Amino acid sequence: MTIQLLVTCLIDSLFPEVGEAVVEVLRRYAGAVAFPADQTCCGQPAYNAGFQDEARRMARHTIDVFERTEGPIMVPSGSCAAMVRHGYLELFAHDRDWLPRARALAERTYEFSEFLVDMLGIQQLDLDYPARLAYHPSCHLLRGLEIHHQPLTLLASLRGSQVQVLSSECCGFGGVFAVDHEPISSEMLARRLEQIEASQAEIVVACDVSCLMHIEGGLRKNGSSVRCAHLAQVLAGKDAGLR
Amino acid sequence: MRSHFLRRARRAIADPALQSALDRNAENRQNAWQQAFALLSNGEAMRMQAHRVREHTIENLDSFLAQFSNQLLQNGWRVHRAADAEAACRIVMQIASAHDAEVVTKSKSMLSEEIGLNHALERSGVRIVETDLGEFIVQLRGEPPSHIITPAVHLRRQEVAATFHEKLGMPYSTDVEAMTALARRTLRQEFLQSAVGITGVNFGVAESGTLCLVTNEGNGRMVTTVPPVHIALMGLERLVPTLDDLALMLPLLTRAATGQVISTYVSLIQGPRHADDPDGPDERHLILIDNRRSSLIGSEMAEALLCIRCGACLNACPVFRELGGHVYRSVYPGPIGSVLSPALFGVDAHGHLSKASTLCGACREACPVGIDLPTLLLRGRKSYVESVRQPSFMRLAMKLYAWLMLMPRRYRLAQRLARPLMRLLPLREGWLRCLPPPFSAWTRSRHMPPFAARPFRQRYQAAAMPAGHPGEAPEAAQPTPEPDPIQMMREKDPPARFEQELTAVDGEIVRCSAEEAPALVAERMRQMGITKMLAWGDQEPLMVAALQALKLAGVDCVQPDLPRGSNDERRQAIATLEDAQAGLTGAIAGIADTGTMVLADGAGRPSLASLLPPIHVALLPVDRIHAGMQAWLAAGGRDQIANSSNVALVTGPSRTADIEMTLTIGVHGPGKVIVFLVE
Repeated sequence: MTIQLLVTCLIDSLFPEVGEAVVEVLRRYAGAVAFPADQTCCGQPAYNAGFQDEARRMARHTIDVFERTEGPIMVPSGSCAAMVRHGYLELFAHDRDWLPRARALAERTYEFSEFLVDMLGIQQLDLDYPARLAYHPSCHLLRGLEIHHQPLTLLASLRGSQVQVLSSECCGFGGVFAVDHEPISSEMLARRLEQIEASQAEIVVACDVSCLMHIEGGLRKNGSSVRCAHLAQVLAGKDAGLR
Repeated sequence: MRSHFLRRARRAIADPALQSALDRNAENRQNAWQQAFALLSNGEAMRMQAHRVREHTIENLDSFLAQFSNQLLQNGWRVHRAADAEAACRIVMQIASAHDAEVVTKSKSMLSEEIGLNHALERSGVRIVETDLGEFIVQLRGEPPSHIITPAVHLRRQEVAATFHEKLGMPYSTDVEAMTALARRTLRQEFLQSAVGITGVNFGVAESGTLCLVTNEGNGRMVTTVPPVHIALMGLERLVPTLDDLALMLPLLTRAATGQVISTYVSLIQGPRHADDPDGPDERHLILIDNRRSSLIGSEMAEALLCIRCGACLNACPVFRELGGHVYRSVYPGPIGSVLSPALFGVDAHGHLSKASTLCGACREACPVGIDLPTLLLRGRKSYVESVRQPSFMRLAMKLYAWLMLMPRRYRLAQRLARPLMRLLPLREGWLRCLPPPFSAWTRSRHMPPFAARPFRQRYQAAAMPAGHPGEAPEAAQPTPEPDPIQMMREKDPPARFEQELTAVDGEIVRCSAEEAPALVAERMRQMGITKMLAWGDQEPLMVAALQALKLAGVDCVQPDLPRGSNDERRQAIATLEDAQAGLTGAIAGIADTGTMVLADGAGRPSLASLLPPIHVALLPVDRIHAGMQAWLAAGGRDQIANSSNVALVTGPSRTADIEMTLTIGVHGPGKVIVFLVE
């Protein structure tokens, strides 16, 4: 079984270290990984902004690229995985040609932690990670894909770490919302940062770099010493900090 | 429009009093929601069932509406159809003027806000008085409600106190109980003066032509009992097919709205006063209002019509928590409002609201009928983008982004070119401190990572590895829930469950035998210094014996019997009942799992006895207690509803939390409820 990595444009362009950690973990625990080189963006930003024609074109491109591969498709992002699993079906709901293709892709697509725990049955990792961790349940992962126990199972198995689960309230990122509704986004972020500081965690862990970029950006702006990490970075034993 | 919205948003965020009020609302309501749904063993199944019921109703709305209208006409209602807001207001004004109404009282109805009824009536010289405490407060202040369930949620007690001081002449006091008591006294006079009472409708039941109205304060019962004319305003989508469907929806509505197992009062109104009813309105009108709702049927926004207006999505929404309702500038704020407002009132004015969300999905999780609000918001965004010209920056950015992403070669080139551009910007520890407009909004509260020197695709080394240990997917072990012994006890012993539930909402229970009951009631009334009671006068032996015992104890028991026809005589008759200190009623049934008494209007059974006095004493034989609402419906409840003009489900004393979410007992209905459970 070769795992097809849909790395996401954000990880590709801004956080390559996260992508490397994902590959490292997958190779250690799962097997061969392939990276279809023609992949770009799943189209979620356009979809969420209401530009559905643009989103549909990007979705078709992504389907085209991954249709030529076999095996499970692994997405290290809750929101991009939710886009492929749910958003594509909505985009092609009335398209007789593309709907079956979108559905076939959706059925092969897994989020990173879900893939490790539900597909591979991994419950325990042989790893020391002495740190105070705060787990941020990102919205599209938690409520869009209903994935919650999987990352927590993996984190709980780390030796030496203490894990606190932050409330399931949104951090205020929301894609374009973070810019075009900045005052509201910033206020929501401020509340999340207060909760993070109160938790006394050293590292905020999540399965979405988009939320983490927003949270670590806020932590850095505030001069905080707390850093963020994608779950894969922790599981690969990397230091904190998205990059 | 969007820029005005953002200006109001900034102002709301900068207002600490508003922020603390909104935090309190979000925290209290979310906790209450969670606790209420945790108590349901099959909450998720109920939500899915409720979704199907509502979906089926909307898909077959025409035939259910026809059935409903026919039933209403048979039950003695006058049924009106209004295509839009103006038509609806006109019908109300015609009815009011036919009855020479100078004062009209109203219980909370968002639909009345939607159609602008207050302004329309005031323009025609009719004074309209809001009787829900929260609505009363915002009406005094000349503000619109800021939440569909708790209209004054944006105010602290200090602001309410200042309003009561200024408008009602009350000495300034932040004592919530004192303010509530003043509202009770003030509004009591308004109820007595008003010739017409107006309500909304929570559910219409198609099979029986029953209107269901849910309140806690008792103002809904007052408005539908005291004035001689009742007008109900109903959005034409607010139907359920059957009484059993109603029994499914009710506990979901109240749990989602306030965390209550059931609201204090549920009125099941079947029609105007019957020939032998001692009270109740002589005329009931229903106005079925469309106002563009039917245009959503069959559209991709149709799911929004499933909404039962519980307000749970507002309480769950982190954006609403920052803004409050006024920022939205629509009758319906929050997630459901951001879906409904553009669809019902126009994309030009409200389309931008579809973007006022992070799509976090908390609203979908909170919705008791499982509306997929994030997907509806996304569809709303699509219509907004298609029909309203977007900022040129946004259009350009989307075009450029799609152009790059559709051709891997261009995308890779852009990654390479972006990096050197970023070198021009100031960095701190590798992150950008500020960006030029329009991205500067990001760096107002966040640093931004620059493009990586080498993107992932360049660093990726395609090294073949032997397969690891791809284990079998584990069987998902579903733990079977242990039977809860207390739960089983309650189900086997409905009176015990009834007692537990009623006590939990501040009701009092006295257990006694049929022989003891009359003397115990009389003794209790004597101890409380009660000299005048409103009482049922039906011929049930238990009631007859209790009335005798009370008479011997020197308590004057009056059976209300309102004259028909003349408003003045009716008012005078009600005025003579005002000094009764307590009311004595029987109950035709009890519902154990909510601690609810069922009171049905009929010969010798006036509504006013359980409504006007500050204390309500009830005699409930234990053998009339049923396990739940469905069990009651199956065991004769349907006929009881059909045969009575008005059935009230009463659960404990009247209550409100409209001022600072502070629970206050005793608003328009009784503040004390004593139930004698008779073996």
